Amino acid sequence: MSLPARAATLVVAFLAVVAAVIFVAFKFIGAQPSVENYTPYASGGQVNVTMMTAAQTTVTNKPDWVTYFIKNPSSGNFDHTTYFAVPADTRVNMTIYGYDGCTPLRNPLWGKVAGTVGDVENVSFFNGKTYTPSTPLSTFDSWANCSVQHTFAIPGIGLNVPIASVTTFEENSNLCGTSPCTAANQDANAPHTVIKFSFMTPKTAGTYRWQCFVPCGLGYVDGNGGPMGTPGYMMGQMEVQA
Amino acid sequence: MAADSPTAAGAPTSGGRDRFWLPVVWVVLSIVGCLLVALVWGPHMPPGAQSTSAASQQFDYRVLGTMATPVVIGVLLYLVWAMIFWRQRPGDETDAAPLHGNIKIQATWIIGTAAIVLFLAAFGTYYLIVPAGAGAGEGPQPIWKPAGTTTSSITSWTPGTSNILQIQVIGQQWAFTYRYPQFGGFETTQLMLPVGEPVQFNVTSLDVIHSFWAYTLGVKADANPGLNNVAYTTAYHTGQFQVRCDELCGIWHGSMYDTGDVLSVPAFMKWAQTTKTQLADVTKLLPPYADSYDPTTLTNLGTVNVKLGLVGAGGGFYNPADPEQP
Repeated sequence: MSLPARAATLVVAFLAVVAAVIFVAFKFIGAQPSVENYTPYASGGQVNVTMMTAAQTTVTNKPDWVTYFIKNPSSGNFDHTTYFAVPADTRVNMTIYGYDGCTPLRNPLWGKVAGTVGDVENVSFFNGKTYTPSTPLSTFDSWANCSVQHTFAIPGIGLNVPIASVTTFEENSNLCGTSPCTAANQDANAPHTVIKFSFMTPKTAGTYRWQCFVPCGLGYVDGNGGPMGTPGYMMGQMEVQA
Repeated sequence: MAADSPTAAGAPTSGGRDRFWLPVVWVVLSIVGCLLVALVWGPHMPPGAQSTSAASQQFDYRVLGTMATPVVIGVLLYLVWAMIFWRQRPGDETDAAPLHGNIKIQATWIIGTAAIVLFLAAFGTYYLIVPAGAGAGEGPQPIWKPAGTTTSSITSWTPGTSNILQIQVIGQQWAFTYRYPQFGGFETTQLMLPVGEPVQFNVTSLDVIHSFWAYTLGVKADANPGLNNVAYTTAYHTGQFQVRCDELCGIWHGSMYDTGDVLSVPAFMKWAQTTKTQLADVTKLLPPYADSYDPTTLTNLGTVNVKLGLVGAGGGFYNPADPEQP
């Protein structure tokens, strides 16, 4: 093989390796969940965002990881993602359907609602048959009571919302088994809670991480690995758009 | 200097220049450099002078920097001097002067640098000890405590007394929270200090190892689960300061930061009393104040939690046979 041919072969081989590395980095290591963009749906300084917690992720290859879902504002389906975008300086009216069971908070401090409008969340319990009236709550005792399943916290804006759980042994033993827990999966009528609260987004654009403060990934780095440390499960980002 | 050896054929014959002017230039530059480092750069060296610990660290850096300046200038000057005066001239094919040991120079260098290093070791150790550990975590039983302070009460605190203000720093993935046992034991995400009052930080963790680093206060202490790591400081000035986690602790480690505030004593007392009242409903749910906490085993869980097989706040939701288990 001539010198130019060998040089060309070397260059091509080098570029192939670089391309493979870039592909792996972007495709697998740097893969990010899709973003549910609620900004076009904001109106009158407010936007409605809907999320769901589930005890498992049967739509992925990690079926026993707990997870959040976010409702696609266009299709109305719950997508397996934890990234959403909202406009700046806007009141977010959040609804979270809580389909997981209860667990004690590692730090009871996270049982206090903070950063919401009125420092409360409104909770309705569904026992499989009927809903209770939506009631404003500000503090949860997750040790004495079976009352909290996860939290939704955005530390950058001081937001902390305990996600209330169904409270009885029977309800916690009959949780939704296929996620997302929707009518299509015939699991929408499993015992769950409906949590509603509002908060204001910052006045300027930026990206804010949110996370659950319940160590719900036990077996993985003191409970905070696995779904707790993987985008698309128990933590994500709120993109505030100008 | 060895290049000036008179035995070297073709060697430079500028002994006067090298033996006189080189030391003179070095001394002059060193004096100027030391003054600049000590008086101009020194007051701006990190971590600043917002607290006793920060100021003592900055003083250490000023002294270390000032003493290192002549050494650095000597090395760099010798390099530049060699490049200018001892370089090979065009057409000069002779060998350089053979190098022979110079006992005087070697002894001077070794003794001089050894003296500097030993002095700085003693100096640094002294100034770690004297300002109560210089803001570093000293473990659960600190040896060096702020002069004139006591821990006579961890349930009450009055400004201006010897009883030191206690603040517990609790690291958790991924946030710091702060507990004030002398104000009813409330816990908050805000870190507030009174100016001019000695503070004892009791640093611990609820999960993995974190590190509490209030770097403009000059305070840094690892947060270990099940352990109390004590550090001290006294803030000199009111104003904000930054807190970061300095131990890689998981995916959101980089977001684990806070902005603290040093308040006047009246403002701090007002904030503490107001926060105590605001957080009263959640404070009563917190475990009794302790040096550290074991959240994996709780003895006061309600009946439903117990019936569900939950024994603590450590999780416990995965089938051990799951292939995703580590």
